[in-house]
Amino acid sequence: MPLFRKVLVANRGEIAVRVIRTCRVLGIPTVAVFSEADRTSRHVREADEAMAIGPAEARLSYLSIDRVLAAAREAGADAVHPGYGFLSQNGDFADAVRDAGLVFVGPSGDVHRRMGDKKASRRLMAGAGVPVLPGYDGDEQADDRLLAEARRVGWPLMLKPSRGGGGKGMRVVRGEDGFLEALAASRREAKAAFGDDAMVLERFVERPRHVEVQVMADGDGRVVHLGERECSVQRRHQKVVEETPSPALTPAQREALCAAGVAAARAAGYVNAGTVEFLLAPDGTFSFLEMNTRLQVEHPVTEAVTGLDLVRLQLEVAAGRPLPLAQEDVAARGHALECRLYAEDPQRDDLPSPGRVLHLSEPEGPGIRVDSGLDAGSEVTVHYDPLLSKIVTWGRGRPETIERMRDALRRTVVLGVVTNLARLRAIVEHPAFAAGELHTGFIEEHLPELTPHPCPPLEAVAAVAAALGRTGDGGGARRAVPDPWASLGPWRLGEVL
Amino acid sequence: MRLRCGDEAFDVQVRESGGTLEARVAGRVFRFALEPAGSDVFVVRDGTHVTTLHLARDGAAIHLAWDGVAYVLAEEREGARSAPRHDPGALEAPMPGRVAAVKVAPGQRVAKGDELLVVEAMKMENALRAPRDGVVRAVHVAEGDMVAPGRALVEVE
Repeated sequence: MPLFRKVLVANRGEIAVRVIRTCRVLGIPTVAVFSEADRTSRHVREADEAMAIGPAEARLSYLSIDRVLAAAREAGADAVHPGYGFLSQNGDFADAVRDAGLVFVGPSGDVHRRMGDKKASRRLMAGAGVPVLPGYDGDEQADDRLLAEARRVGWPLMLKPSRGGGGKGMRVVRGEDGFLEALAASRREAKAAFGDDAMVLERFVERPRHVEVQVMADGDGRVVHLGERECSVQRRHQKVVEETPSPALTPAQREALCAAGVAAARAAGYVNAGTVEFLLAPDGTFSFLEMNTRLQVEHPVTEAVTGLDLVRLQLEVAAGRPLPLAQEDVAARGHALECRLYAEDPQRDDLPSPGRVLHLSEPEGPGIRVDSGLDAGSEVTVHYDPLLSKIVTWGRGRPETIERMRDALRRTVVLGVVTNLARLRAIVEHPAFAAGELHTGFIEEHLPELTPHPCPPLEAVAAVAAALGRTGDGGGARRAVPDPWASLGPWRLGEVL
Repeated sequence: MRLRCGDEAFDVQVRESGGTLEARVAGRVFRFALEPAGSDVFVVRDGTHVTTLHLARDGAAIHLAWDGVAYVLAEEREGARSAPRHDPGALEAPMPGRVAAVKVAPGQRVAKGDELLVVEAMKMENALRAPRDGVVRAVHVAEGDMVAPGRALVEVE
């Protein structure tokens, strides 16, 4: 008897494909939802059923609670998996799914709201003995009160909107001069982006690392952790490369960090898969940042070392089953690394670069996993997140994992859409990366070495000219039917040059 | 054949010579053999050395990957003149996207670096700033408009 009659996957791209895959393994039929831009996307093709939910614009499709819920009802689904992003951390959506008599694969609306408020979650964590940075998380938000609190916290400090994320409205303030100005700017941005301008103040940590603990909790109060991940290689608060275990932690630090993650989940009354994010200072102390109340993008590295299927655990817990494993049953083996392939142009300051995928080669081999939502022919549109796919490697140790990643990236080819692939290669080939000398400013610090050359070597230009001559002028190299000139063999040359 | 990479132009002459291709570019000569290996893929042989070339064309844009590294070139047709340099005061959309905010109006005085408008694509907001001090001559878009790359958005004089 499958866990559910039918699961609706309220997402798109690689994560929808990922969730559908586990449902298929478990014998659970799936319903994909799609916007007008995704009519023939991979997640639509891999699901058993697919339902249109609106136009390309996410606000009117993937972010519309009414439309997603109507699709779930109409399809006769008894559970909804939200993936990450879109509605995954929306408490109202979680509530609406439950109110409709369906199972939401994730925590309750209350938990989402509790952890989505930085002021309240900071207070909750501090009360539960989870370390937090010196700061201010009070409800009194008058400018002069915040200034007084800022003096108490000390400089430099970080201004953070209490709601929201993605770095929006966040500012480092290095002294009292300019504090009020920065506060006003942050408040404006927070108000515009999140409809709430309450702020949290926190001591700013120079050269921090980002580490996080994967937790899994069931409805009976059992909580286990599945180890940590390090996600220090970021660009504009967006993770780029993640790994587990963190090369920065001693066994004692790891144990303390993971225990703090479990304590945080308990304090939150957490159920299902969640991630507790911490900031690791150069002196080895760690502090609570926030809790992500959903499956993370980077969950495959945890799966690679633990051998667990996190989506399966999510579905089991959501179906009311007890966690099938105790803490002592969780064993991590080897090392895992994930690189995020984004449709962003590193030569143009990481500008998003939509387009049509003309050619796609994805790597394979021992210890390589690719989670992709992409096909040759896919249109990468401006409407959604630029994440195209995730390349994950596993090895017995960090060096072997990095070697496998270098090779996997070398054998990945995406044509038609400019990606950050060359940057990913430069990161994993960088000596500071090999040495594990990571911090959240790693990419900025090494930017010149991590910015690829725009032009191909001359021999490549020569070969391109020859190949273009071969395929003729009109049809181009991308025609599906082989060019008749091509079939004449290597020695026949066109005269079009 | 002339291929462009940004501001760099490569004039390439290719001819066959004794079963081998000979390509001259930037004063250098490369000799190799080229064989198609499925759609969009070529094998380039230099003696026993083999390099894979992935190649796909999208209009005048030539997308290639050489030894696994991707690049984009533009093919310049014979007789075609290079695109006229655009007015340095005209601000074009750097990528397709949606105009999330218009922060100036015609007649308004702006300083170099002032935010003129915000274009949003793939959940990322990109502020377009005044390229120089001046007065806004025209605003060609409104909030909510979808824009294509190269579309003129604002003119500053």
